[in-house]
Amino acid sequence: MKLMNGGVLRGRMWLSRRVPRRLRVVTRLSLPKSGIFAYLAIMGPGLITANAGNDAGAIATYSSAGARYGYNLLWMILLMTFSLAVVQEMAARMGVITGKGLTDLIRENFGIRYTALAMVTLLIANAGIIVSEFSGIAASAELLGISRFIAVPLAGFIIWWLVSRGSYSIVERVFLLFTLVFLVYIVSAVLAHPDWGMAAKRTVVPSIQLSRGYLLLFVATVGTTITPYMQLFQQGAVVEKGISEEEFKYERADVYSGAIFANAIAFFIIVASAAAFYTRGITLNSAADAARALEPIAGSYATLLFAIGLFGASMLAAGVLPIATAASMTEVFGFEAGVSRTWRQAPIFHGLFTGLIVLGVVINLIPGLSLFQVLLTTQILNGVLLPVILISMLRLVNNREIMGDHVNGPLRNIVAWGTTIATSLLSVVAIVFTFVR
Amino acid sequence: MVFLSQVINRPIIDRNGERIAAVQDLVVRIGGQSYPPVNGLVARIGRRSFFVPYRHVESLTEEHAQIDTFSLDLQPFQRHDGEVVLAKDVLDRQLVDVTGRRIIRVNDVELAPTGRSLRVVGVDVSARALLRRLLPRRAMRSGEPRELIDWSNVEYFASHVPAVKLKVSHERIARLHPRDIARLIEHLALPQGAELIEALNEDLAADALEELTPERQADLIEGMDQERAADILEEMGPDEAADLLADLSSEVAEEILTRMEPEESADVRLLMQYQEDTAGGIMTTDFVAIAADRTVAQAIDEIRAIDDLPDTLTAIYVVDDLSTNRLLGIVALRDLLLHADAGIADVMTTRFRQVSPDSTIEFVVRAVVEYNLLEIPVVDDDRQLLGIVTVDDAVERVMPESWREQSVNVFS
Repeated sequence: MKLMNGGVLRGRMWLSRRVPRRLRVVTRLSLPKSGIFAYLAIMGPGLITANAGNDAGAIATYSSAGARYGYNLLWMILLMTFSLAVVQEMAARMGVITGKGLTDLIRENFGIRYTALAMVTLLIANAGIIVSEFSGIAASAELLGISRFIAVPLAGFIIWWLVSRGSYSIVERVFLLFTLVFLVYIVSAVLAHPDWGMAAKRTVVPSIQLSRGYLLLFVATVGTTITPYMQLFQQGAVVEKGISEEEFKYERADVYSGAIFANAIAFFIIVASAAAFYTRGITLNSAADAARALEPIAGSYATLLFAIGLFGASMLAAGVLPIATAASMTEVFGFEAGVSRTWRQAPIFHGLFTGLIVLGVVINLIPGLSLFQVLLTTQILNGVLLPVILISMLRLVNNREIMGDHVNGPLRNIVAWGTTIATSLLSVVAIVFTFVR
Repeated sequence: MVFLSQVINRPIIDRNGERIAAVQDLVVRIGGQSYPPVNGLVARIGRRSFFVPYRHVESLTEEHAQIDTFSLDLQPFQRHDGEVVLAKDVLDRQLVDVTGRRIIRVNDVELAPTGRSLRVVGVDVSARALLRRLLPRRAMRSGEPRELIDWSNVEYFASHVPAVKLKVSHERIARLHPRDIARLIEHLALPQGAELIEALNEDLAADALEELTPERQADLIEGMDQERAADILEEMGPDEAADLLADLSSEVAEEILTRMEPEESADVRLLMQYQEDTAGGIMTTDFVAIAADRTVAQAIDEIRAIDDLPDTLTAIYVVDDLSTNRLLGIVALRDLLLHADAGIADVMTTRFRQVSPDSTIEFVVRAVVEYNLLEIPVVDDDRQLLGIVTVDDAVERVMPESWREQSVNVFS
């Protein structure tokens, strides 16, 4: 403030002399950035990312696991909790230390050939997920009595239009709210009076069946729990939020609670489905069947509830993934990106973004398609491609030139390499089973 | 002229055409000259890397590198200060294209001989450069169209090579508009963004920071030397500075405030007391006030004597007296120019809109829009003038989120 009264009197000195006493001193005072407040302030990326993983494909996979094999796949969920926590923590740590996204680090450290391989892998994996999200939209529409030939193209267009205009973030929150529906799986599982003793035993004691169906579902469960895009999101969110090394302990807690929460939901979906189908000897072939796992709590509203949750989860991911994939592909290779650029300025970006949505829509319009089968197949695809991303991450996170003293400790390396080797072997098995009947 | 990707991994041969080693990388000296000269090659035999000075290199082509000596120093290669190796430190990295005001990704590096030396002359950012590196050599014929950016338009980042002491002045960045600098920083990784801000003078750094998102501002200020952070915050509008400090931890904010000039920090502290979604939260104390007993001529003289006038000066505020500071009227700048002989009290308008510090932002915007105002005074119950809200700050708060430029890349 500048005040003038016979020569210039600097207002700032005047203000420092008399700060108005009546000013309400409630206000914008910064919260202490330690303790619970710091946790709450940073909380988000880990919890949101891990639970965004519980999308249409995940619901289908976990439901199938419970329906076909009862509690026999629960032990995987326990192991996957550790794997997911360690993998996501690595992604978050790389984001904090380097300030860069995963794809940037791959490009800058592995050369163009490996980058191309990793990017093609990601593109295929994400395209698969996008297709599965539109299957989720189709399935939820059919549950509500709307033809998928109307619902899917309409959803595709709405997503394309909203995201192109940059207005998607507004509706995003609504869809996020829809996904809370899946919390009712917990209640539903309890009300179904499952054999908790057996469930607990199967969670701790592994059981392996050497059948084709079991192993493929095994790969699908891995692929849907540790989806490649989740690591990209995690690292991207940490970079975007600018989380510092000092704040990292809170982000770590966030990542771990996200992994535990996401897998807890998976556990309850399997238990609820096991109770609804496996113990009664009913087979699960469609989303309409899967919805019945919610009957113990929702009764005749089970279908509606399930459809709402499935729709929200699918729309959420279908809105984010095409643009995120297009942006990271173009950015890594140095092409123009962004919805504020025109088609002429950024043809590759817009082409990829639109193309991925069109792909997701078109595949789900194939007549006679089993949506449930698409959901499962895309999760297997993700499981098969996961090792490429995990190996990239492990090579980066253990590179002292990049991470300094923040490379993995022995325990994390054991879990992460164990996960990588196990998923690689499973991928080989899955590929063999797919081609050799 | 040759591309980096074409010489990497090619054999190094002696005068007899016998293969000695392979080209692992090229060493250049960055900083100083606008086209960095190649100092030498990093040669590789098995696991050993060693340095071959460029004066021993007779030719460097797509086929091979020929050297004119039989005595080589096999001491393991080590980088010196100011030296950068192209394939490792430049290729695939993000640089700034100053003329294009954008971030580019180095898909290939163009080298050209000038006299006795070989120099980096440009960066290839085309898709063709990617294919050249991806496909077998025979599949690509040279001479096709490509997108080259002259190296003299490119800014390299010292933070790409933290292990090496490197001076990069970034003085060309300072010629860009603060809004463009902010956009570059928003799209760069944090270390590179911090390097750009570090290179700017306080005034420009403040302008660029004001354009950034609150998260980015906080990250950059927190990573900075606190003395410099204080200097930059002094140059920012007190309202912007208050918003920024509110996003920092209270200890860091306090540290920075104590390092600021007392009069500047007093303003900022005052503004920090108001809630963000009120008129008090978006007002600035950067305005000119004058006592009612002055004449227009005196007012103009006194405005000229102020050494740092507010960035936008559209009106001055007339108060009864400095001790009470009650707002009596407003004089638009044009009225000051038109009525040179009058007294201030005669030209001021007494019918003006005002808001109180706890008015909602919506209320402020409605008043500003309805009465076509460029700024509106914030006045407390005792009619004491506290600050002003400018139209840009008001409108910014009610702008739809989709109007703001947003980063689409949630993966990085």
